[in-house]
This record gives sequence, C-alpha cells and structure tokens, in this order.
Amino acid sequence: MDGGKLTRRTLIAGAGGAALTAPVLGQKLAGHLIDLGLPGGPSLRPLTPAFPGKGEMIVQRIRPPLLEAPMSVFREGVITPNDRMFVRWNWDMPTSVKAADHRVAVGGAVKHAVSLTLDEIASAGEHVSVVAINQCAGNGRGLSDPRVTGTQWGNGAMGCAKWTGVRLKDVLAKAGVADGAARVRFAGLDVPLTDGAPQFIKSIPMDIAMRDDVLVAWGMNDEPLPLLHGFPLRIVVPGWFSTYWVKMLATIEVLTGEDDSYYVAKSYRVPAAPITPDEKDFETVAITAMPPRAFITSHADGDVVAKGKPLVLEGIAMGGEAALAKVDLVGERGLEIPCSLGPDEGPFAFRRWQVTIPEVTGNLAQIGVRAANVNGAVQPESLAWNPSGYARNVIERITLRAQ
Amino acid sequence: MKRLAFILPALLLASCDSAPQATFADASITLPDDPLDLPDLPGRDAVIGNCTACHSPSTMLQQPKVSREKWEKQVAKMIEIYKAPVDPAAIPQIVDYMVAVQAEQAAAEQGNVSRETSGQAGPKGGLEGV
Ligand code: HEC
Repeated sequence: MDGGKLTRRTLIAGAGGAALTAPVLGQKLAGHLIDLGLPGGPSLRPLTPAFPGKGEMIVQRIRPPLLEAPMSVFREGVITPNDRMFVRWNWDMPTSVKAADHRVAVGGAVKHAVSLTLDEIASAGEHVSVVAINQCAGNGRGLSDPRVTGTQWGNGAMGCAKWTGVRLKDVLAKAGVADGAARVRFAGLDVPLTDGAPQFIKSIPMDIAMRDDVLVAWGMNDEPLPLLHGFPLRIVVPGWFSTYWVKMLATIEVLTGEDDSYYVAKSYRVPAAPITPDEKDFETVAITAMPPRAFITSHADGDVVAKGKPLVLEGIAMGGEAALAKVDLVGERGLEIPCSLGPDEGPFAFRRWQVTIPEVTGNLAQIGVRAANVNGAVQPESLAWNPSGYARNVIERITLRAQ
Repeated sequence: MKRLAFILPALLLASCDSAPQATFADASITLPDDPLDLPDLPGRDAVIGNCTACHSPSTMLQQPKVSREKWEKQVAKMIEIYKAPVDPAAIPQIVDYMVAVQAEQAAAEQGNVSRETSGQAGPKGGLEGV
C-alpha cells in the first residue's frame, strides 16, 4: 500500500489472495451461533472467545472489531468484566502501541500547545475513579421496528466499569484554555484508510469537559485499558453515550466555535422532535446524554416458570445522564409492581433490581421493567423510532410461560 | 498502599490518597483473520474487490432486507463519504449481489419461522396474565 492509504490497485491486490480461501465465518472462529432475535433477521451471529483478551463475545464484525456481550453477562453484579465489555471501532484500529513513544497533543484555542507523554498525563492531577456505563449510541439498533441499516446490535453493546485516570480539566490546564473556548475535540490513533474520508473525531461542550468526573482514563476495572478498549488512554464522559469516549487518545483540541466535523455535524444525530418512519426532512440534534433503561436478566423471552409458585425476577437498570430513581415491573391489564433496588455504586453505574411475584397464576405476557431517573425521564411504552436506530430505550418486554 | 474504595454508596469519585503510580507498558495484540466469507452468487468478486478493504463482509451480510434503491444509496455513501475507491462498472454487480443475498437470507428466515410455528404453540399463545 502507498503510505497505508487505499487505492483501487492495492484494494484489488489485497483482496485477491483472501478470496481464494473463504471458509465460513462461524467455522473459522470456532465457537457457536447465537440468535439475537432481530425482527425479520438475519439474526444469527458467532459467539466466540477468539478475540485477544476477550471471553465469549458475539461477533458483529471481525474487522474493524465489533463485539457484543451476550445478555447473560449482565446476570450478576454491576461491573462488566473487561473480557466481556463490548468493543466498537469505526475504522481499523492499530494493534500495537509503544508506551514510551505515545504523545497526547493538546492544542487549538490554548495558551501554549503541549505534547504530553503518558507519565506527564498521569501526573497532570489527582487520580480519580468513577464507575460508569459505557453504552454504544446504537445499542439495540437491530431491534428497531421498522428496521434500519447500521451495525445490527442486540442490547449487549453496553457495559459498566470502574474507570481510573486524571480529570480532563487537569490535562487541559497543562496547556491553559484560551478565551473563547467552546468545545473540546478528541482524536485517537485510529485513522481512515482513504484520503479525504472523515476521521473518527468527537467533541464535547466546554462545560461538560470541565466536569469533575470527565476523565482521561488509563484504568479499566483496575487493569490497564486493553488495546481493544483504547490503550493507552480514553476519554470517559459518565452519562453520555460511548461515541464521545474517544479511544487511543492522541489529540485534544480546544475549539472556539461549533464542531462541523462529520461524526458530530452529520452522523450520530437524532431527530430534534419525534418523527414517523416516512418523514424525510427534519431537524436533527447530536446524540449526547443517555436516557434510562432497564433489563430483566434472570429470565429470557419464552422461559418457563412454575405455576402456583412465587417468582423472583431480577435485572439491571440505569438512570442514564442522572441517577436511577425507580424501577417498576409492568405488564398487561395495568400490572405495575415497584421493584427493590440493590446497592448504589454511583449515579452512572448499573444498579440491580429485584421483584417477587407472590404467585404465578398464568403466563406472564409482555412483561417488562421501566426505569425512571431523578430528572424525571421515564422509559417510554413505544419506541422513539429514528432512522439511525440511536438511543433505544423503549421498555424491553418478554413473555414467560407458566407450567 | 492505602486507597479509598467504593465504601460509601453516594461516593462518586474515589480519590487515591497515595497517588498510585500509573505504569504504562507497551501493548500489542493479534486480531483473528477475516475469512472474507461471502455467499457464492454472481457478483461476489465485485463485492470482494470493492467492498471488503475497510470492513468485513458481515457489515453487508447482517443488514435487514432493504430495497435495491437503498443498496444503491449505500454504495454511493461508501464512495462519497468514506471515499471508497469503487470501480463504477462494478456498482450494478454489487447491488445485484446484495439484493440476491438478501432474497436468499429472507427465504432462509421464512423457513426458520415456519419450522418454529409448526412446533408447539409459541409464548404468545393463550395468555392469562398474572
Ligand atoms: C473506504 C472504506 C470503505 C469501503 C471500501 C467500503 N466501505 Fe462500507 N463502510 C465504511 C465505513 C467507515 C462504514 C461505517 C463503519 C462503522 O460505523 O463501524 C461502512 C459501513 C457500511 C455498511 C453499514 C451501514 C452503514 O451505512 O453504516 C454497509 C452496508 C456498507 N458499508 C457497505 C459497503 C459496500 C456495499 C461497499 C462496496 C461498494 C463498501 N461498504 C465499501 C467504509 C467503507
């Protein structure tokens, strides 16, 4: 390849050899298939531990890697182990990073641009940890009805970890934020293969950047960030979708105006007001903070439960951009039972919930759990459909059969 | 080393009082091979030649069934936004191929659905509620 960039010639030359060997994805990766239950399909995906440092993960894409956690990962606790956290890269990711050579350039609207080593980042301020949910903006896209194109995630493009690093504002202070600063933009080591294609760069408003819990993190559950999760450093914005948590952080750029780059101005956007699937021209806003969500993890759709016996249901919930306030079990004919909440690991963490149905008298049709956060946001009954399938937070329902 | 852990439920940020040293070692991984697995239908070579440099075939194969026009738009998006170097002559073959693959997938899905419903009544049959 000329300079790593893609031309028609290298592209065809590169593909030729591989085309001769085309074994089945599932066979090649070993493991087995899992059914994501996407309406209308295709729904089967390989489930395999074939990726470095990962346990059994659903393979949405080998290259660049898109790995989803099977829902069974969320059956216990609130922390998602590193080997089961979802993986999401937009463009090819570097597969090796030399720590001593890595620099983070801090520039743009700053008093004096700096280029920081990892040790300089680590000594930029107090070391802090925050437990926060990392969720892809497109989590659950594959369940959209009507369906939309994009990565066809089930609900496993999420996880909750303890992130450790320094505050972004302390790193910014090394360069000194200049007057007129409006946003802070991040870029990682992952770059497009083609000239002129948009690099995956993302920015957040200044007031978010200066928050006490917005980090430049190197630790994930008390381990160094794995490469697949953005070694050596990634941005952590608790309460905001993962798209802002830029991985393999290499550049921090202070902007004085709006960000017109592709992944902020053109992509990762949702309708400003609800739309129907037929609507074409509508205003959009950037997707930012997360809404509340809840999941039943003790049972799956179609499971059989004992008739005449009590039933304990369990799961996880999140408040999104604000702490979880409550979780209710809801079902047909006005069924609504408040659930009890487990230990609180902070406003941006998963929280476990539990509820006991005193006696199962028949099938439990279309039951779900509905989370509300302290800001008053409540999960809706029906999907706020949008053409990119972002920010799904409709109440997820299952049916249990009594026998 | 003494550390503040998450003892207090309300504690959002835990500061480590003894400034634990962050140490950074080099990191490197090997990703699994991408077998470029695509169904054997006419146009497969055009798809392999034009559409697999930036991403695995699963990117195309996992999509829900969409119209021919939508596939034309997808290819145009790859060219216009992501600067995919696509041979213009190959575009109709790529679109034909994707439409044919999705027709096969839909037929397979139909097969699965009818097999499932021919068995015992699904969870939605005869419900009574709690
Ligand atoms: C120059 C790189 C490049 C080439 C070549 C390329 N694509 Fe893509 N494609 C992308 C990127 C980048 C994405 C978005 C990936 C992501 O979000 O993870 C994408 C996503 C997709 C998607 C998912 C839906 C969407 O819009 O995100 C489809 C379908 C797709 N490509 C089809 C094709 C087809 C068909 C071809 C061949 C004509 C092709 N691609 C060639 C870069 C490329």
